[in-house]
Amino acid sequence: MANTMLEVHELTTKYVTRFREDVYAVDHVSLKVEEGKSLGIAGESGCGKSTLALSLMGYYFPPLHYMSGDILINGTNISGMKPDDVRKSILGREIAYIPQAAMNALNPTQKIIHFIEDVILEHDLYVTKKDIYERARKLFETVGLPAEVLEKYPVELSGGMKQRTVIAVSVLLLPKVLIADEPSSALDVTSQKMVIKMLKQLMEAGFISSMIFITHELPLLYNVTDDIMVMYAGQIVEKAGAQEAVFDPLHPYSKGLMGSIIVPEKGLRDVKLTAIPGVPPNLKKPPMGCRFAERCKLAKPECRVTSVPLRDAGNGRTYRCILSENELREAYAREAFQNAK
Amino acid sequence: MKHTLQQIFRSPKFVVGFSIFMAILLIVLIYPLFITDSPLKIIGQGTFFPPGIYVSAYDSLGAPKFTLNLTDAAAKRVADKLGDQERADIRDWLVADGIPETEIDIHNTEKLLEQWAQNYDPNKKIPGMTFAKQRYYQRLDESLKGLLSKEGAIIAQKNTETGALEEAEIINQTDYVNIDQVASVRVLPLGTDNFGRDVLTELVAATRTSLQIGLVAGLVATLIGLTLGLLAGYIGGTVDDIINFVTNLFIVIPSFVLLILISYSVGQESRGAFLVATVIGLTAWPWTARAVRAQVISLRNRDHVNLSKLSGHSIVHIILTDILPYIASYVIMALILQISSGILAEAGLSILGLGPKTTEVPTLGLMMNWAMIYQAHVQGRWWAYFPVLMTIALITFSMNLMNTGLDQVFNPALRD
Amino acid sequence: MAVHYLTVRCRVKGYWKYFLNKLGWFLVTFVFAFLLNFILPRLMPGDPVAAIVSRLAQGMSNASGVQAIYQQYADLFGTNKPMLEQFFLYVRNVFHGDFGLSFSQYPRPVADVLRASIGWTVALQFPAIIVGWLIGNTLGALAAYLKGSFDKILMPISIFISNLPQFGMAVILLVVFAVNLKWFPTSGGYGFDLLPSFTWPFIWSAITHYQLPFWSIVLIAIGGQAIGMRSMAIYELNADYVKYSRFMGIKDRKIIGYVFRNAMLPQITGLALSIGTMVGGALVAEIIFSYPGLGTTLLSGVMGQDYPLISASTLIITMMVLTANFLLEILYGIIDPRIKAAQAD
Repeated sequence: MANTMLEVHELTTKYVTRFREDVYAVDHVSLKVEEGKSLGIAGESGCGKSTLALSLMGYYFPPLHYMSGDILINGTNISGMKPDDVRKSILGREIAYIPQAAMNALNPTQKIIHFIEDVILEHDLYVTKKDIYERARKLFETVGLPAEVLEKYPVELSGGMKQRTVIAVSVLLLPKVLIADEPSSALDVTSQKMVIKMLKQLMEAGFISSMIFITHELPLLYNVTDDIMVMYAGQIVEKAGAQEAVFDPLHPYSKGLMGSIIVPEKGLRDVKLTAIPGVPPNLKKPPMGCRFAERCKLAKPECRVTSVPLRDAGNGRTYRCILSENELREAYAREAFQNAK
Repeated sequence: MKHTLQQIFRSPKFVVGFSIFMAILLIVLIYPLFITDSPLKIIGQGTFFPPGIYVSAYDSLGAPKFTLNLTDAAAKRVADKLGDQERADIRDWLVADGIPETEIDIHNTEKLLEQWAQNYDPNKKIPGMTFAKQRYYQRLDESLKGLLSKEGAIIAQKNTETGALEEAEIINQTDYVNIDQVASVRVLPLGTDNFGRDVLTELVAATRTSLQIGLVAGLVATLIGLTLGLLAGYIGGTVDDIINFVTNLFIVIPSFVLLILISYSVGQESRGAFLVATVIGLTAWPWTARAVRAQVISLRNRDHVNLSKLSGHSIVHIILTDILPYIASYVIMALILQISSGILAEAGLSILGLGPKTTEVPTLGLMMNWAMIYQAHVQGRWWAYFPVLMTIALITFSMNLMNTGLDQVFNPALRD
Repeated sequence: MAVHYLTVRCRVKGYWKYFLNKLGWFLVTFVFAFLLNFILPRLMPGDPVAAIVSRLAQGMSNASGVQAIYQQYADLFGTNKPMLEQFFLYVRNVFHGDFGLSFSQYPRPVADVLRASIGWTVALQFPAIIVGWLIGNTLGALAAYLKGSFDKILMPISIFISNLPQFGMAVILLVVFAVNLKWFPTSGGYGFDLLPSFTWPFIWSAITHYQLPFWSIVLIAIGGQAIGMRSMAIYELNADYVKYSRFMGIKDRKIIGYVFRNAMLPQITGLALSIGTMVGGALVAEIIFSYPGLGTTLLSGVMGQDYPLISASTLIITMMVLTANFLLEILYGIIDPRIKAAQAD
């Protein structure tokens, strides 16, 4: 049995808006990632997946606030730690983050090497600037970046270079868990593939021990991660192996999400999002019953009143629906038949 | 559109700015309906009459008298003429005259005045006393005469036959007139200026002219800036290069220098308010042109514009329907800023003596200029300049608030 | 190593390109300003010499005498020659530092009148604008970072102050601190009973006379800069690198350092662009204090219908503004790496 790198138990976090309203963007989420494994998280924009990525870091700043739950990294619970201790000993070292817009993730007026120095010195790793430079140079060469990138300002790098630099900086301290929040969404297809290849290589080479990959483009996940988790309105609605999640989704939302994706092409994103009619519910006042009921074709009256727990479908697979596996499959088959006609 | 308006009016900054501006505008529009005097009419003989209610002394004599027995009237009369400063001055004189200080009680009015009447000699020279001080004591002595008298004042009439003065009426100390029964009363809430003109009436008219100047300057600047910005941004290429070059040129060359040169060369005689406004507008467009150009460039390749191009619409059509509506909010914000900076530019020019012709209309800048030339600020005549300054500040402040409010509605990133 | 050298050279090349670009631009604007200064007054209807002569000749009934005066002034300023010749005359004179003779202070040369006032204006305005810029940016940055009541109090005050005209602030300071409190003198650059010299009483007098004009310029500059810096800093605080740096474990204090540096840099360009307006306002403020600088000189030129004095003043003001603008742009190019990169592409 492999070591569990990241284990999250019933994590709840909230946003506080300008008008002092609470928005529960991550609602009792539990997940587990084992050594050498990767987990994909999918969902529409606004479903809480990016907030989940932020929440997993265990380091909160307004408007995001921690409410309850535990985050265990390699067996250590970081939820009870003081924020400054999390910053010093966890961030970057145990868990690292690649932001959504990696293009702008580097301070434009700071040379890359100076940022790396800041990062390393911040973690009380007493090393000389020469050592830091050597370490960074080796890492950069491993990921295929020329060493002179270190002496450059981010503005002097191309988009792809910046992206790779950010990834390299993120894995600098060999984190146990890497959270990649749509690292490829702003890139063209070639660069996307490059990023994914790079992340895979980093994992194989042991720079990172496990990975969470967040995206709204499901086919991408199928190629990259071992498991897939689908989020809707701050909750997990389905968790399954990548193969099953893409080709045999159970939850009506997963089904809709998979069905709505035709070509993962830039510019069509907006079209895709409207493929499931309606919009996610307002999380300031989440619905009493199933959160997807408003948009669900299979919804029954009781869906709107009783909250629905996650159901175990065996094989490590879970989903959140009052219908049984069989009922769901039957409904999908009927629909497919009708569409064919 | 309705939604946008709702959003705008929900922005507290905009609402505050809008309310202040509207209040000013309403006063400017309504005031002349009640006070129809010409704003430049000279009513006061002398400079800088303080604010207050001016009651015709002549008419008061003819007004019906009422007897009011007010116990504090005498005390008030004394206090008015004999304040703490005067009492101290009297003591100083008496001490200098050789009376021991212990014998003087400056709080005992009766005794003090008695001592004063006995000892004061207007012709006596006290060593070390300036001539001005000497004159002051003479005036003081004059004003103290009959202060404690219980008699009334006698009104005399000239006998038309003998030419002798005959007693016509006695005005007792307990006689009062009702201000409503005095035929001529003039309220001067802000006094008069250096020429003896009613400051409030002048200020209202000046605000009106300054707003018009701002509006004209703003419209001229915005129109030129918008046209050039649209052409440069949309057509691009050489047109853009040329316009951009000129715009950048006029951004770095300080516009007030151009304003001074043009205004001076035009000459005092032909400088009307409208002309000054136009000149201000002609020197203020580059900022608008620059902002509009940047906006248009970001719009130029949007899908809906491309679609319109493919559909074969003319440039004018594309600009009017696919570009202008998207930059309208920016243009309005730019216009607001241009209006307020136009008002400031006029004020600055006028202080330099290059404002509109002084004989036609008052403007806020001209009022400021007059007050400064006549040293109102050094002499403590606050009513001649402070209301003017506050009006300028309130106008520009309100416009800027509206602008910030609009900016926050249209650029949500600035909200927090 | 070779590659490294190449990138350094490339960056240096980028900076040179930027520098030459700005230098060229400086020269072009300079020539244009020069031309405008010459042409604008001549384009207008009316003849400056005629205007001045009519003023001088008031009360003179002898027509040929008026004609003689006119001829004398016209020769002096060359207004009776063709435009092109006038221009070359103008250029030659300006480059010799010779702006002709002043009308209102005849026969003092304009250069003489101006020489004294330039010093006063430079010594007053540039320190004031720089101090105002520094304080304003610091306050704006603090408002963006601290938010809350600091922001809520500072911002409306800043907006209000920045909407006061310069001369308004000057009048208010004058009335409060000079007329009412009598802490400072009301007007002039030094005591009227003193002669400029390096003596202690004169220096002290100059310092006390300096305070009110200085702070009236500083306060206005603070208002405008604080507002600009605040929105700049808010924009930067929301930038992606802030979040990323946080998640890499960088402490907040250091991140704030990144943010303020990045927000401060564009404020330099902002200053370069607005320096013309600021100088213009400050010149009017000088008038309120009768400060012996260019603003007051300009006013006396306008009052005395002194065309050569006005023309020379505006030219010198333009030159000062353009030079300040150029120096700021150069400074900006040196300290902001984004510029070099943009040019090297």
